[in-house]
Amino acid sequence: MSATAESTAAKSSKTTSEPVIETRNLGKIYRDFWGRKKVYALKSLDIEVKQGEIFGLLGPNGSGKSTTIKLILGLLFPTSGRAFVFGKDSTDVRKNERVGYLPEESYLYKFLNAEETLDFYGRLFEMPAEERRARTEKLIKMVGLEKSRRRQLREYSKGMTRRIGLAQALINEPDLLVLDEPTTGLDPLGSRDMKDLILKLRDEGKTILLCSHQLADVQDVCDRVAILHQGELKELGRVDSLLKVQDVTEVHAKGLSDEAKREIQEVIKRHGGEVLTVDNPTTTMEELFLDIVRQSENRPGHRSVE
Amino acid sequence: MRIDPDQMVTFWEWLIPGMGLLNGFLLVVTLAVLGFIVCYVIAARLYGPAEGFYVIAEVMSKFFREDLPNTSLRRIAALARLAFQEALRRKVLAIFAVFVVGLMFAGWYLDPAADDPAKLYISFVMTSINYMMLLLGLFLSSFSLPADIKNRTIYTIITKPVRPTEIVLGRVLGFTLVGTLLLGTMGILSYVFVTRGIVHYHEMEPMEANARKGASTYDARHSHTVTFLEDGTGVTDEVKSHRHTVSVREVDGKKVYNFGPPEGTLQARIPVFGVLRFTQRDGSIGDGINVGYESTYRKYIDGASLSSAIWTFNNVDESSFGDQLNIEMTITAYRTFKGDIVTGVRGSVILRSPDGKIESERFPFIVKEYQVDRMEIPRTVKGFRDGQPQELDIYKDLVQDGKLEVIIRCNDRSQYFGMAPADLYLRKGDAAFGWNFFKGFLGIWFQMVIIICFGVMFSTFLTGPVAMIATLAALTLGFFGSLASGALSGEIVGGGPIQSLIRTVTQQSPTIPIDLGSERLEEAIRFGDQGILGVLTALTSALPNFQSLNTADFVAFGINIFGGLVARHGTITFGYLVLTTIVSYFFLKTREFAA
Repeated sequence: MSATAESTAAKSSKTTSEPVIETRNLGKIYRDFWGRKKVYALKSLDIEVKQGEIFGLLGPNGSGKSTTIKLILGLLFPTSGRAFVFGKDSTDVRKNERVGYLPEESYLYKFLNAEETLDFYGRLFEMPAEERRARTEKLIKMVGLEKSRRRQLREYSKGMTRRIGLAQALINEPDLLVLDEPTTGLDPLGSRDMKDLILKLRDEGKTILLCSHQLADVQDVCDRVAILHQGELKELGRVDSLLKVQDVTEVHAKGLSDEAKREIQEVIKRHGGEVLTVDNPTTTMEELFLDIVRQSENRPGHRSVE
Repeated sequence: MRIDPDQMVTFWEWLIPGMGLLNGFLLVVTLAVLGFIVCYVIAARLYGPAEGFYVIAEVMSKFFREDLPNTSLRRIAALARLAFQEALRRKVLAIFAVFVVGLMFAGWYLDPAADDPAKLYISFVMTSINYMMLLLGLFLSSFSLPADIKNRTIYTIITKPVRPTEIVLGRVLGFTLVGTLLLGTMGILSYVFVTRGIVHYHEMEPMEANARKGASTYDARHSHTVTFLEDGTGVTDEVKSHRHTVSVREVDGKKVYNFGPPEGTLQARIPVFGVLRFTQRDGSIGDGINVGYESTYRKYIDGASLSSAIWTFNNVDESSFGDQLNIEMTITAYRTFKGDIVTGVRGSVILRSPDGKIESERFPFIVKEYQVDRMEIPRTVKGFRDGQPQELDIYKDLVQDGKLEVIIRCNDRSQYFGMAPADLYLRKGDAAFGWNFFKGFLGIWFQMVIIICFGVMFSTFLTGPVAMIATLAALTLGFFGSLASGALSGEIVGGGPIQSLIRTVTQQSPTIPIDLGSERLEEAIRFGDQGILGVLTALTSALPNFQSLNTADFVAFGINIFGGLVARHGTITFGYLVLTTIVSYFFLKTREFAA
């Protein structure tokens, strides 16, 4: 662990008492024009996101993860329960001072270019001109759009649009970053960059809430995940502990001949030889996810979550 | 042109005694009460009766405690800038190209041989620009916000510390800027177009050396007769509502005549209006005669009788009018027989002191129909004090407490003079035409701003095309609002929509009471009409009356737009801005942007 990571970890441990995001019995029912119930999008969700962690919302399409994010951001109003961000109600405009949001597809003004876009969003935070220029410069460099900074966004490729979208979300140096499907539309390289960036931002002490159905991404970056299905919370916990398989032992060894491998079984029995790693093997996020979805479909309703 | 008496009052007279403020206040209260009831019904359904009330109270208190004080000018400016950029990049300037092309070819169709070409030119440019700007405002404002919601770009705005007030005001400001830019450019272009189209010069036709009269060349489809005065300068007669002055120089023993620019056209006369009352045939005070026209704007007086029209003017003093009282009038004649068609119908003007004891001699005139008739009355006039003839000084003898009466009589038996309060005024000099032209464009600007306000307001809860139709409906209702109130008050005959429909089908005259054979049925129809008209009148009185905001006629007819009127229109515009912003705020605050 690097020195900065340690210090931020120390900092975060100090303030973990107050969650950055807290939802209490949060529910959302979509209604039609006449007020008739159409869809239960989310049913009594209780989660807490602590400072300095990367929290993933995972679920198949229509599981309620986007709804959760929109409720937290105040783009939707809850039908039941409440959501709090930095202790303020989710519909309170003031919370936005400390929030950055990357929407599912970067919904930006296509007639602006990268510089104008960042400048515009900077103005919405009442940043002075000097600061806007500096931050625009820094963010364009960070997301690697130096060459296309003067091109209108309508000419951007999907990957470039994601990048400028992320830059837009970071314009106010937010303490909480909400990312809706951050890696969709990115090539493997771009996807890797995005994930590195997310980790870097976490190391800077920012809290990140992301939702995705790219399981590998979630596995790579998230500290904790909540798995949603049909609007209900199915699983919640630390990624590493969720993926542990308790009753199997895995041995990693190298430089062994076939004979040695045969011997190893004996050696292990007699506790001899040099064992390089003895650990619980992990399953992949994908397996866990599919397993939960299958179970959920067999037995609808709340899955006990500790 | 038509100037209603309520347009003549000053700003303060309109605001307090003229009910301007009260009407605005009533509108706000009515909207607030209606809005509260509607919101409460919805909230009570969603959250239950007690919780619903609490929710509304919270939203309202949030507006005053939270969002209004925290509304930031810088964010409004940022959003306005965005709206401006959006409009420009959506190529609204194309409308400007349409205008320029229209202007280029308009010259072909505007008849320079018309009696008053200035009126024609000004009416053309101002009317076309007015409609263009209203359309522009309509399109700009009603599609922008719905497009943002549809493209979900609004997500990135709502998740920033942006208040709904800023979203609304930013848009209004941005579009207003675009409109102002366009309107300003069009205004300058049309000013050039009008003045270049009107200003022309003549030369002298060859004439005898010392002749006192001559003729000008035929330019701009007319020529003048020039009369030379004692001092050597010349003036032309009035043709096409203007005259020229001619100066003479001697160059190498030859006389060179220089024509000045046209005078009397492209002007902005400053009128001082009076209060009009009538006397009847027997001389008693009463109403004017209705000669059977549907429009009751003008009332008529009978010729060769004691019937007269009396204007009372206030604040008549020397400093305002100088040594000469200029009376201008546009009086219409209503003939019951053809009469002497060459000379026309004769009338006379008399100045009288308010107590009726001192009276000037009669100043005869022959009515010039459809044209402004000017009468210059010198300061000292012959007249009568208590019936005794003597010389009178207008200011010393006739004016009492600043008040002066001007009386119009028709001298020809069985002919009638028709007049409205605005048809006779004292001319208090002239204002600059360019300034008046600007004020006329300000009228268009006010209308544009109001349209934008309404468009943005409707677009906070309707989709683009629907918002546009709603705005258009508001505009149309505002335009024809006076029809509904006129029909309700009975000023417009023929009854309401049901009666009109029946009359159309059964071909009954609108001027007689409807006859269906059943009194009860007729009563029911009248009752239904009253109800419909009542609702329509209430609706339209909440909407801006674009007809009254339109001051193009003032410019076209060469009458200075009074400052009070401009201030009033500005206040109305500002009022609607505030009102629509508040309504928009609640719509934005209570809607979900993601769905």
